[in-house]
Order: sequence, then structure tokens, then C-alpha cells
Amino acid sequence: MDILYLLIPFSVVLVLLIVAVFGWAVNSGQLEDLAREGERILLDEDQGT
Amino acid sequence: MSATPPSLRAADADARLLAPFTAWPDGPAGAALSQFQVAGMHCAACSGIIEAALLKLPGVEAASVNAASARLALRWQPSRVALADLLAALQAVGYRATPDVAAPAREMRRLESRQALWRLFVAGFLMMQVMMLATPAYVAAPGELSPDLDQLLRLGSWVMTLPVMAFSAGPFFSGAWRQLRARRLGMDVPVAIGIAVTFVASTGALFDPAGPLGHEVYFDSLTMFIALLLLARWFELGARHRAAEALEAVAGALPAAAERLHDDGSSERVPPEALRPGERIRVAAGEAFAADGRIVEGQGWVNEALLTGESAPVAKAAGDEVVAGSLNLDGVLVVTVQRVGADTTAQGIVRLMQQAQSQRPLAGGMLDRVAAGFTASVLLLALAAGLAWWWMEPSRAVAVAVAVLIVTCPCALTLAAPAAWLTASGALARRGLLLADLSALERLCTVDTVVFDKTGTLSEDRLRLRRHWVQGAEGADADGLLAAARSLAGLSRHPHAQALADGSGAGAWTAVREVAGRGVEARDADGRLWRLGAPAWVGERPDVQARLAFGSGDCVLWLDLAEAPRADAAEAVAALYGQGRRVRLLSGDQPAAVARMAAQLGIDDWRGGATPESKLAALRDWQSRGERVLMVGDGINDAPVLAAADVRVAMGQGAMLARSAADALLVSNRLMALPQALALAQKTRRVLRQNLAWAALYNLACVPLALAGWLPPLAAGLGMASSSLFVVLNAQRLNR
Repeated sequence: MDILYLLIPFSVVLVLLIVAVFGWAVNSGQLEDLAREGERILLDEDQGT
Repeated sequence: MSATPPSLRAADADARLLAPFTAWPDGPAGAALSQFQVAGMHCAACSGIIEAALLKLPGVEAASVNAASARLALRWQPSRVALADLLAALQAVGYRATPDVAAPAREMRRLESRQALWRLFVAGFLMMQVMMLATPAYVAAPGELSPDLDQLLRLGSWVMTLPVMAFSAGPFFSGAWRQLRARRLGMDVPVAIGIAVTFVASTGALFDPAGPLGHEVYFDSLTMFIALLLLARWFELGARHRAAEALEAVAGALPAAAERLHDDGSSERVPPEALRPGERIRVAAGEAFAADGRIVEGQGWVNEALLTGESAPVAKAAGDEVVAGSLNLDGVLVVTVQRVGADTTAQGIVRLMQQAQSQRPLAGGMLDRVAAGFTASVLLLALAAGLAWWWMEPSRAVAVAVAVLIVTCPCALTLAAPAAWLTASGALARRGLLLADLSALERLCTVDTVVFDKTGTLSEDRLRLRRHWVQGAEGADADGLLAAARSLAGLSRHPHAQALADGSGAGAWTAVREVAGRGVEARDADGRLWRLGAPAWVGERPDVQARLAFGSGDCVLWLDLAEAPRADAAEAVAALYGQGRRVRLLSGDQPAAVARMAAQLGIDDWRGGATPESKLAALRDWQSRGERVLMVGDGINDAPVLAAADVRVAMGQGAMLARSAADALLVSNRLMALPQALALAQKTRRVLRQNLAWAALYNLACVPLALAGWLPPLAAGLGMASSSLFVVLNAQRLNR
């Protein structure tokens, strides 16, 4: 069970990393208009942005 | 320009800046009524702080904040205080306000919802991880979990709780601080104290298990509590943003430019603000009308969903009125501008809705006071419980005090009324009834008598052809003559002629001449002179039953025009009777015409030939007998009678509606909205009572449990967050 002493801190760090990644996604506006992201495939290249 | 003194220029620029979100009810020299959107609000107590901060400024006469929609209505003197100072004063107490015109408000909403989502995610995601690390301590058999490992798991939980405390719970702390500084107790105070106490106690237990704070850690219940609270606020935020968006849909329907026609046939594109009444604009298919006006050329289908909520297009032809913001679906129309800018129907509606939204419901204010007293007693109770337990069993004192603080959070209490009223007014707006006054919902519940005006209310504004016949009948073709009469009527502006023409195109007439007070005369292709107008003018022996006549020499077609009841008038009257309400018809028209309309609609209680004074007397008489009267009128000629009624509903079209004193506007002109509104008002009251009963019952049940120490903080957090959710979701039922 000694491996837990490594895995628990490791999982905590991982969780904080995931939170940071999600924060970047939210704050760069990626979750603002979810409907549009789904429809993007139907648009022309230059319209999709 | 350079000669203008700088102060005057500044005032001028200020006035232009204020224009999009400000009304001047007492004229340009008087007080201004401005609408703002406020960011950073999350409870009912915030509105009091904002109001107090603004009222301290010179020149501010009244400030009212609606907590549920985060709108601020401000009555102030622009000459005595600058807009920038107002905004700075708000900033100083921790809120941001932007003028309530669409774009900046939308941007602010976007940031607000982004921020809320981010906070919710941090709290929710870390809550799950903390729970995962907390599970071993719950499920392990004694001795199975080594003390080292246990301590490591707790340390991990603590690390993951830090971001939740520092970031996600931020609004609770800043809100509590603001409330304390303003000496007003809102729901943020007990929440913040509860969170802080739990975190400090758990941290102390983690690093010093033998210390005075005991050895229990509550990181799992703490994060869960914060996450649930943020979830409830997320739903609340969504409801508020939807209401704001619905308003903006109305405000944003105006096109950015209009095509103005000049007399020489040329045209130019100008912004809608540059249009003046009397000018002509051309509206292409698919374009929205930039101003209220009357069609002079062309015909087509128009979508007036903005006004009526009815998505079926309406046929419009020359002579019909169109309203700004509605959409021309096909055909090119030329429109004479009648009303522009703030006078348009659409802007009147927007202003009314904004006023209704920023008006704090009366009972809401009462609930605020109740909540403040409640919070104070909760704080005392928690303190007393903590002390009592400290004396009996010190290890549980903190847990009990925390449970009491968390479980009694009054947010369900403060959310109960605004959530229900806002949802109900949104549901009514979709049915075409706009509430200008939210408290009207309460008064609607008590209405037992509905009084209708006749003309323009139960009947349509315009007359319809009821009967046509030919006198002498020497083989004359009545229908052929009628078609000719209609084509001549299309050339006249007289309301009777307009009613007769009913949108049919004008025929090939020459030498058309309007004779004031008589009618119109013209020559047909053969040069024969025809007249359309007063019976005595057209024929030698006028038929007493005719209102209009059309003829040439001996060949005369007699016409009778009558008011047509609105399509759903009979259905609405029947529905009102079905709800057990009295229905009365009160009209200034000829008793015979009133009797006919009453018989047609099945109203047995009618009164005709009434003057405004006798209408008012009749209304007062009914009220003195204990009846609660809902009066429906067109808001123009029966204004004093409307004003005396308990609930006033005006049929809404035209510029009058912006100034009328009505509680509600029936913009769709669909009378069925009335019985629906009455039923919805009852339902709203039911929901409101359920909400209040739930909040009271919940507190009655949980506080003794928490005091007795039988309610762990986790269960307390669950219970209080779910009671907030219950209140908001229960109110959403009104939306169906």
C-alpha cells in the first residue's frame, strides 16, 4: 500500500491541473456558445470562426 | 461650434448619452428616469445597499433595485450630479452598473455567466475529488486505515478545499462584507460565517488534532455546501439572464438603417433616429420597420410576433398601420412614418417592461425585512447553541453552531416571491399581456368582476359591413354594386370608407372629389357620376337603416356598417363566466348597439349610453358593494374610469400605451389572455404560498435538529441548498 503515498499527492496535483485547464477553456470563451460549436461543421471555413 | 461654452457642450453630450436608457416624465427640465443593469448582485439585501449608496448623492430622488432581475431604476437630476459620479458611487460599494442599452449589458451578462460557471466548476469538480479522498475514512473498518495515510488523505482534501474557499466562495465573503458594512443582514452573512467557521475548525483539527477544535474535518461537506449554493445561484442567474434577453429581443428588433424616400423619387439610407414623422420610407422584404407608420403603397405579410406573440403573419395593405420592430415578410412596402424613437409602440413596451422589472415588489421588501430579522436571530441562536454545547460537550460545540448557521440560511425565504412573480410576468408576456406593475399580479387574484368597454375593447376598432341591399330592386346587381362601392371607397380616407374598402384595391375612377361631411364622388369609365357617402346625399329617399349609400341617380345601394366583436370575445366572456366571475359591459355607445353586442357575446349585465361620469359612478357603486373590479378599456377615452378600477388593463396599440396608467397592457388584443391571466395569478399566489410554507416548514423542522446536534453540517448544507432549488424550480412551473 506504500504506493498510495505517491498516488494521493499525484492525484491531487492532477486534479488541480485539470481545474487549471478547464479554467483556461472557460476564460477563453470556449463554452460561451455551445450550439455554435456543433453547427460549425456546417459552415464554410471562413464563417466558422 | 467653438463658441459654445464647454459646460453647455458637456450637458448636451450628456443628454445625448442618456437618451437610450432614460425617460423624462416631467419634461426635459425635470427629473430623469434612467434604467441600469447592475452586476455583482446576488441577494435581496444587495438592493438595499445600492439604494442607500445612491440616495446619499445630491440630485438622486429615488432609486429602486429589483433583486431578481438586477435592474436599477433611478430618478435623478442630471443637472445636479454627473452620470460618472453615480457609477463611481456604485463602484465604491462594490457593484458595477451599465446603462441598460443592449450591448454593454449583454457583455456584462456574458462575463457574469462565464465567471459563475468557472466558480461552479471549481467548486463542483473539487467537491467530487474531496469526497473521493474522504470516502476511506467513512468506509474503513477500525484499524484498517493507518494514521499516516488518514492524515495524508485529510491533507489532500485540505489542499483541494483551498481553491474552493479562496475563489469559489469569494462572492459569499465579499457579499457578507458589503452587507456588514452597510449594516444590513442578508443571506450572505450566515453563509460566510458558516463557511469560515467550518474551514477554520477543520483546519485546526487537521494540524492540531489534540487542540480545542476537535479532530473532525468537514472538508467534504464544506465543498459540497459551496457547490450546491453556487448551483442554485447558477439557476437563478440563468432565469435572470433569460428575462433580460427577452427584453432585449424587443429592444433589438429595430433595424440599423432605413431607406428614406424623397419627393423626387430618389432615396437614401439613414439611421432610424434621423427619421421624422411624415417622411416616407421604403421597406424591402425581410426588413424590419424602423418606425411606426401607415402603409401607403404595396401589400404584403407582416410578422408582428414582437407585439402579439402570435407568429402567424398578418396581411397588410395600403392604409394599415405597422409598428416598429415588426418584420416585413414579402413585398416592398412604402410607409409614412407616424411615430419614431421613444414614441414607438415597441419602445413604449420596452420602457414599461423595464419599469416593471426594476420595481421591487412590495411584499419583496417586506420579505427582506423578515429575512434580516431572521438572520439576526439565527446568529444569536448559533452563538447560544455553540456556548451551550461548549459547556456540555466541547468537542461538538463547533459542529452544532456550524450546522445551525448553515441550515437556517434564509435564501429560500428571500427568493420565494421574486422568483414566482418574475416567472409569472414572463409567462403572461408570452401570451400578449404585459404587466407594467408586478404587484398587479397580487391584485388580480382578488378580482371578481370584469368590466369591459365596448368600442375598441370587445369590438374591433374598425367597422365591418353588416348588410347591403338595393332599394326598388329593379334587377340591380347588389353584389356588383358593392364591388364598385368598395373600389371607390379605397380612394377615400374616411374611416367608414376605409372599413368598407377593407383592403381591396382602388378602381379606375376619374375626377375623384371628396366632399367634406358628405362623402366622395367620382366618374367611372363611361363618365357616369357616382357618389359614396351619407345616405341623404346619395339617394333622394334615404333608407333609415342605412349608414352609407352608393349610387348614381336612381340606382342606389344601401349599406349598413356595424362593429364586429373581436374573434375571441365570446370565448373569453364564456371563460370568465366559467371561472365564476361577473362580467359587465359598460359603454358610452347607443343602448341598442350595446344590447346587440351584449346579446352576441352572452353578457347579461350591460349598460349603454353612459357618460364618463356615470361610468365612474357605476364603477364606484360596484366597488362599494365589495366587488373587486378589473376594468378593460382602450386606455384613451375611459382613462378616469380605468384609473378608479382595482386592476386596469388597457388594450395596447399606438403611442398612448406608453403614457397610460394601466397596470397591464393587452398588446396582442386577444381577450382570451384575460381569463388566462386571472388563472395564472391564482396559480402564482399558490406557488408563492407553497414557497413560503416550504421555507418556514423547513426551518421549523431543521433548526431544532441542528440545535440538538443531530444534524451533521453535510446534511444541513444539503437541506438548505435543496430548499433554495425547490423554491426556484417551483416558480418555474408557472412558465408552462
